[in-house]
Amino acid sequence: MSSHREAPEISKDPVADNTDTYAFVSPDKPGTVTIIANYIPLEEPDGGPNFYEFGDDVLYEIHVDNDGDGVADVSYQFMFQTKTLNPDTFLYNTGTINSISSKKWNRPQFYSVTKVVKGQSSLLGSGLACPPCNIGPLSTPNYATLAQQAIHKIGDTSFFAGQRAEGFYVDLGAVFDLLDLRPFQNLHIDPRPAAPGVNGTQNLNVHTIAIQTKIEDLTKDGSHPTNPMDAKAVIGVWATASRQKGSMLNGQGGSSESGPWMQVSRLAEPLINEVIIPLGKKDSWNAQKPNGDKQFVKYYLHPEVQGLLPVLYPGVFPNLASYTKPRADLQAILLTGIPMGIIKGFQNYTGPTLADMIRLNVAIPPSSNPSILGILGGDLAGFPNGRRVFDDTVTIELRAIAGVTIPLVDPTYTPDAAAGEVSDFSPPAIPSGVTYLNSFPYLGTPYDGFDHPSM
Amino acid sequence: MAKLSRRGFFKQTSATAATFGILAALPTMAAATEAPAEVPAAEVSIAEFTEPLMAHVSDLASGEISLLMGTREIIFRDPQLVMRLLQATR
Repeated sequence: MSSHREAPEISKDPVADNTDTYAFVSPDKPGTVTIIANYIPLEEPDGGPNFYEFGDDVLYEIHVDNDGDGVADVSYQFMFQTKTLNPDTFLYNTGTINSISSKKWNRPQFYSVTKVVKGQSSLLGSGLACPPCNIGPLSTPNYATLAQQAIHKIGDTSFFAGQRAEGFYVDLGAVFDLLDLRPFQNLHIDPRPAAPGVNGTQNLNVHTIAIQTKIEDLTKDGSHPTNPMDAKAVIGVWATASRQKGSMLNGQGGSSESGPWMQVSRLAEPLINEVIIPLGKKDSWNAQKPNGDKQFVKYYLHPEVQGLLPVLYPGVFPNLASYTKPRADLQAILLTGIPMGIIKGFQNYTGPTLADMIRLNVAIPPSSNPSILGILGGDLAGFPNGRRVFDDTVTIELRAIAGVTIPLVDPTYTPDAAAGEVSDFSPPAIPSGVTYLNSFPYLGTPYDGFDHPSM
Repeated sequence: MAKLSRRGFFKQTSATAATFGILAALPTMAAATEAPAEVPAAEVSIAEFTEPLMAHVSDLASGEISLLMGTREIIFRDPQLVMRLLQATR
């Protein structure tokens, strides 16, 4: 998965588990950038009676670097507070929830937002209400309205924190069963007839923190660059979750926390800690800042999946199998951004500092005809220029690792024919039933528990 | 996090204030660190008395004590205090 349960320690701490991060120029408000950080993987919609919620003891943050050093210049910090209105019932809701201020919702959750610019903090808002989880037609009958009430506008910036439909799609079962991609399993080392891909995140939800703010709020000089070749047009984005260093159980079902915040999860580019970073480094990777990612570069230059593909698909990737040079293409795409001169009319280079960040060139306008394959599909407004909610990042990264992007830096290399075809879905497509919104917060209405029971 | 000498540690107003409360209740430890005499009572805020303070000794041999309070960590070295804490566990 993009980063769901991707490391041993964080897989035991789902409320702090950052699953996906997105950053894109808002298609309906092109003067703004939308950044989305998702947490709590694989929420089953009927997972009550204690439905999913953010952790009151977790510091959630969205970070933006606008000078290429892999250090946050602008951060948004989110702290949550949950109340129990009626402690004498087991119910999450004691009736129909018709508004987010309804007293029938027994576990209302609120949050504060603090903006930190170059180390200077300012509280933007507090007591901001989240929506409840989507329980079912009797409990949350007008869910879209509830969610709309939970969009808070503070100055020029919109905020949302609450449950959303999972927008990331992947054939989980196939990927983790020795990369036995169903549409290509006839070519696998253990061949079976080819079959359509199955979306492993179908009908599941996540918890989303989303902001939409003016481009000028995030760029280095407060400008709105319009020239894609302008270095100031590129920002780096990532999200984190942190817990306080000390925690002590009080023996009464509660605990107290003390000490500095310690980062336990981070996420920028999808699938990095998932499949690039090896098992023995994953927990450590989650605790690092992006500016220290040089220590992990060898895993990008010689990715494990590159070695596995020719073994698992014998004879299908002969050119990849014989390619032994370091993957400078992956280093550029994932750790520095793509310099100008590689792709006509595009760059998202942030300088020589190797740092895992989603690099977004804010001078590239939203596409009127987006491709889920992003830049591989000829759409400069898509991944890896930022990441939109519908981008097929699994296929894009799979094809990149399979060799289609090597010629960007090594024209002598000819990709295998299969490298341009490989995908967990064939042809690549948004799976049926996965929906998005056309406006903030863009991820779809969460699946309700009554109509989407666990099977 | 701040890494301090023992003297520097006692100059940290809030941390010292928090320690004062504990040391006052534990006369033998107070004698070991000599902290109470250096702490003006007025510098101890009510908020600091309501916050938990956690002490962690990860390596007894080093004599290093980590204090967690609020969102801060204060590290200081006091082998004598560590030994007294160890004795208290027996």
